[in-house]
Amino acid sequence: MSENKPRQRETRLIMISPASNVTPDQLARTVHAMGRELSVKETCYGCLLEGDPKTVVEVRDELRKLDPHGIYSKRRAYPAGDPRRCRAQHGTRPGYSQLEAEWKLLANLQHAMDAIDMGEKAPPEPKRNKLPVKEFKEICEVNL
Amino acid sequence: MKKIFIDPPNSMILFDIVERLGHEPLSTMAALQERVDNLEIDMPPMNVTLDDVIKGLKYAGIEVPSGIRGRLAVWGPQIDAADAAIVMTEAPYSFGCVGCERSNEMVKYLLRRRGIPILWVEYPRDKEAAMRMLEETKEFLEGLE
Repeated sequence: MSENKPRQRETRLIMISPASNVTPDQLARTVHAMGRELSVKETCYGCLLEGDPKTVVEVRDELRKLDPHGIYSKRRAYPAGDPRRCRAQHGTRPGYSQLEAEWKLLANLQHAMDAIDMGEKAPPEPKRNKLPVKEFKEICEVNL
Repeated sequence: MKKIFIDPPNSMILFDIVERLGHEPLSTMAALQERVDNLEIDMPPMNVTLDDVIKGLKYAGIEVPSGIRGRLAVWGPQIDAADAAIVMTEAPYSFGCVGCERSNEMVKYLLRRRGIPILWVEYPRDKEAAMRMLEETKEFLEGLE
């Protein structure tokens, strides 16, 4: 398994929630100010961190302190700036639509984490009723 | 620390939550990094090796389209290594790996067949659903210890 082997590099994608006040520039400057041995690339959604796995995870934890519920991360298979993926070199970007879809959800997640921290309990799931035949007929008969 | 398979396997939300709660998420990205770094193939996962196709045969029959076998060559070994799984349900059509719905169905079938604990969480379409998702995930992962 890939997870069990020692990894030489780890590339991590850091994404800022749309409800957060942190900016990608702020993230990149914070990483530079740490003076750690890793590279950082500022992007429209946050930044990419690349380096030794231990350092990358430590820097991610430091970045999270800027906004604990507003900064999210995941690993990335391709290195930062890889010509097969980087837009600057006309690479394809097949994972971008998924990133965009998740970016839109991050505000919900951020508000939920804030609410749970303040001691709120999740409301029960609303019961879903069957669609009445009358409404179903109306939907069927709509002229588009 | 347990190994948690996430579905969709490329989801940042699930990856991040599992990491925050102190476990190791098994994701597509980790499996693909090995192929990107160590193998001389043009563009994984679009291109696969002969070994991948053979590995895929363990999870899907020879009559199954090669695309499904290729995908299962990436996800299958992770499902085998997982201690538990978290699956997101009710997500819109375009969320997650959308290339082949049959592969996604096969992943769910393989997870059920392994008999590991599986948590089915709701897609966080609003704050309340996100709260339910977070509470259920936390309870599930704490229960694994």
